Amino acid sequence: MRGNPGDGVLLTENSNPSGSSGRSTGSHDSFAASGLVEHFFRREYGRLVAILTRKVGVRHVDLVEDAVQTALMTALTSWVAKGLPEDPGAWLYRVAHNHLIGALRNNAGRLRILEAAAYELTVAADNPASPRFADEVRDDLLRMLFVCCDEAIPKDSRLVLALKTLCGFSTSEIALRLFLSEANVLKRLGRAREHLREVPPDFNSLPLQALQSRLASVHVVLYLLFNEGYLSAQSDRTVRREMCDEAIRLTTLLTEHPVGATPETFALLALMHFHGARLTARLDGMGGLLLLEKQDRSLWDQNQMRLGAESLQKAASGETFTRFHAEAGIAAEHAFAPSFSQTRWKEIADLYAMLDRIAPSPLNAMNRAVAIAQWQGPEAGLVLLKAIEPPQWLLGYYLWDAVLGELHRRAGQNEEARRYIERALASAPTDAEQELLRRRLDSLESL
Amino acid sequence: MSTQKYLCMYRGAPSQNKPSPAQMQEMFAAFNGWKEKFKANILDIGSKLKPSGKVLTASGVTDGPFAEAKEIVAGFMIIAADDYEGAVAVVKAMPGMQMPGACVEIREMASF
Repeated sequence: MRGNPGDGVLLTENSNPSGSSGRSTGSHDSFAASGLVEHFFRREYGRLVAILTRKVGVRHVDLVEDAVQTALMTALTSWVAKGLPEDPGAWLYRVAHNHLIGALRNNAGRLRILEAAAYELTVAADNPASPRFADEVRDDLLRMLFVCCDEAIPKDSRLVLALKTLCGFSTSEIALRLFLSEANVLKRLGRAREHLREVPPDFNSLPLQALQSRLASVHVVLYLLFNEGYLSAQSDRTVRREMCDEAIRLTTLLTEHPVGATPETFALLALMHFHGARLTARLDGMGGLLLLEKQDRSLWDQNQMRLGAESLQKAASGETFTRFHAEAGIAAEHAFAPSFSQTRWKEIADLYAMLDRIAPSPLNAMNRAVAIAQWQGPEAGLVLLKAIEPPQWLLGYYLWDAVLGELHRRAGQNEEARRYIERALASAPTDAEQELLRRRLDSLESL
Repeated sequence: MSTQKYLCMYRGAPSQNKPSPAQMQEMFAAFNGWKEKFKANILDIGSKLKPSGKVLTASGVTDGPFAEAKEIVAGFMIIAADDYEGAVAVVKAMPGMQMPGACVEIREMASF
């Protein structure tokens, strides 16, 4: 035992055997007890980083993040002792702002870059706790999003940077969500930061519209963010849901500003809403299309379907049919089909063909074959699949084998079916998917 | 109503690991839940102590805390309980006790 407790009691964490579970799981009860909405701290983190970065310059984003972290830590102890302040967001802003000014002053003194920093300090100091209008905050968040999506930042660093600065996930939380090691996340973040330090101070005075050339990169990052949540084989549903929610939140912001309110952005948002509507009805950790048949359509989120339809309508303008239009169209077909058997498979097959022309990938051809199989029978699907020359990476992909196995099974070619399903089983990433494939194998045995 | 007072001192080096915003919110919620439950026991929720101070000895004043100390008192709280057992129960339920390296010293306050 450390120290000398005398006749007192020294409690250490280990002396509490019942406390083995560690942190609370963030149930709704505990959020109610905190008096704060869910994700308040995380969202505030993103909001404050965006606002303060806008004030002092992208190259100081490290200092900004430290200041915001410190403000949240201070809130933690102060709010427990004194209760919630009247306006928690303004309170956090004030504390983070003061910390940031202190840090910038120290920095300026140390590095003797007074000239540039002095300017930033006055900018930062002139308006210490101004109440922010919602659209100003939105613009700052969007600016930060465009900062993260600079083409000059390595591609695999952009998503990580956005998750960190905009969504307020810690490096370990990002690692968990992207199936990366924490060291790898740090490395990607480091490369992004290296670049941000080079961003010239006058960058922040550029109007958002001047960054419009980055819109394509912004779309890709938002799409990735959503897909990582939606498609990941991760079994923890809440963890996945969070990524999808973040993607929808940021894409919605983007549609609200002239810089991003393009048909393509609306198509992207529509596709997210349609997939999002089905999230709850999907079973944990299983692949999407193959399982659609089993989904209880009454569980699909009607509100999200409505939002999807609204976005899709706004997407249907202009001269360009993008990959997001194709994908939103496919998702809409599924969302509005009254049942699995009444799905308009021909439309879906056509949309996959269009998608494949815009963004060629054997996966699109594979999905088209699945739709054709539903429409014209498994043999027709198999003919298409056999015409694909699968690249090496696809051959090792369990879904490729699973689809081949399933179509052979439906065509009554049991030997072929068994071979493919067994191969899929060997590389299926989650228990749930293995279970699904095992049931298919069993159904073959019983024939 | 228990009348015996206990001083609870958080001991340890200032924490190095930074919790994520989501974790901080969970911690905040957990602390608030705990505070509600033990309302009657908590007389003064106390405060954090700043990391530096002064140490007075017969030979003068130096900067503190004691330079050789590996762990310092980082914060305090005063609670009411009937006996040590009761005081331990309150502190054990405190969410902070689940943090890695958590350590709280509990001392009965003499009434004189």
